[in-house]
Amino acid sequence: MSFIEALSIAARSVYIAGTATLLAFTWSFPLAYTMSLGRRARLLATVLESLVGFPTVLVGLLVYMLFSRSGPLGFLGLLYTPYAVIIGEALLVTPLMTGILYRVLETTARRYWEVAVSLGASEGQALATALREAFPAVIATVVMGFSRAIGELGVALLVGGNIKGYTRTLTTAIALEVSKGEFEDALALGAILLVIVVSLSVAARLLLREERP
Amino acid sequence: MIELRGIWFKYDKKWVLRDVNIAFKRGIIVMITGPNGSGKTTLMKVAGLIYRPTRGEVLYNGVNVWSLPKQKRLEARRHVVYVHETPILLRGTVRDNLTYGLKIRGYNEDRIEEEVESIVESLRLRSLLDKKAGELSAGQSQLVAIARALIVKPQILLLDEPFAHLDREKRSIVSTLLREYARERGMGIVLATHDEYLAEQLADNVVNIEEIQGGQNIG
Ligand SMILES: Nc1ncnc2c1ncn2[C@@H]1O[C@H](COP(=O)(O)OP(=O)(O)OP(=O)(O)O)[C@@H](O)[C@H]1O
Ligand SMILES: [Mg+2]
Repeated sequence: MSFIEALSIAARSVYIAGTATLLAFTWSFPLAYTMSLGRRARLLATVLESLVGFPTVLVGLLVYMLFSRSGPLGFLGLLYTPYAVIIGEALLVTPLMTGILYRVLETTARRYWEVAVSLGASEGQALATALREAFPAVIATVVMGFSRAIGELGVALLVGGNIKGYTRTLTTAIALEVSKGEFEDALALGAILLVIVVSLSVAARLLLREERP
Repeated sequence: MIELRGIWFKYDKKWVLRDVNIAFKRGIIVMITGPNGSGKTTLMKVAGLIYRPTRGEVLYNGVNVWSLPKQKRLEARRHVVYVHETPILLRGTVRDNLTYGLKIRGYNEDRIEEEVESIVESLRLRSLLDKKAGELSAGQSQLVAIARALIVKPQILLLDEPFAHLDREKRSIVSTLLREYARERGMGIVLATHDEYLAEQLADNVVNIEEIQGGQNIG
């Protein structure tokens, strides 16, 4: 495998996992926010937390059935496209992201909201302050979601199909190289994956330390 | 003046305040006592217009605060400040924390600078001014939290365990200042504290929370 090829696979992985994470965030955050306003959200939070370990291959299977030709969304023709992978991975990381965001809003954001209100902030000002204070934790959550998305294999393989130059990601490429017995390439791709995940989490940690010494 | 009339409050299921009646007047320092978990913090947050009571009325200068439209209620809230039991500082420097209450009230730069100068002088905070909030000790954080409340010159100030982490010198500085604010500016001050010696010196009235609970233990 050429270096260029490896890089383009890595870039595609980042794009797919990144888009999936942002997509998941667009519904996880409002969901977590709504939950934090309600009084009876703890049960839902517990359910979400128990779904965090949902096997990726099962998410892959469910999304496959959803998008397969005879499935309810088969007419969209999304199976074996990057979009199916994005949607699948977004669903995969939703329990994790919503669960953590809910905790963040329940604890950090609520505390600072209360401080702001106690000092005479309007509701809008208090919300802004609470979100500002919760920002590092929100970033950390996004990084966690991204790490889970980029490192998963089940969804990418089942609904992406490992199509060269189209849906091939780092994890599906590694699986392929191993099956061909090309361990060196597999290890190189694995190293790239590791570097992406670790450097991102280090960057996030630095950001958090910067923010709250 | 803040007046609580027939206040009931519960977290999930347990009633913490049961038909509580009490008034906090300007210029008077009241100490609230009671064992751990007896509802002092809850009472102060209700009086501080942060928690809305399950039942009962909270009157600010005779007006039921929770029946006011948002804007009017905000005006009332800006005269009543509660300081948390464990100091919670905002991200940024001590200065950022001190100016927060002034900024959200829309004060101009000169006015803000003046107020910061004055509170820094009174509480001897100058050396802390440009420190990061996260780099402070517990006592320093508490002092900043108190300063951050005093700087907006509320009519009613509610301090939850304000002396817990302060050393003797700081306790005396703070209590002298509180007495001055009450006498000279007519600030009404409510203290929850277990430091009875200090409170006795400072307080005009001592109120045991268990004695102002009207109803029996329900729920
Ligand atoms: N956020 C909360 N959710 C549920 N219950 C709470 C909550 N905060 C306080 N309580 C309960 O309400 C009761 C009163 O608590 P509160 O903090 O008002 O007591 P306190 O008198 O301030 O105690 P302390 O002297 O320890 O500060 C306690 O029994 C406590 O368990
Ligand atoms: Mg308390």
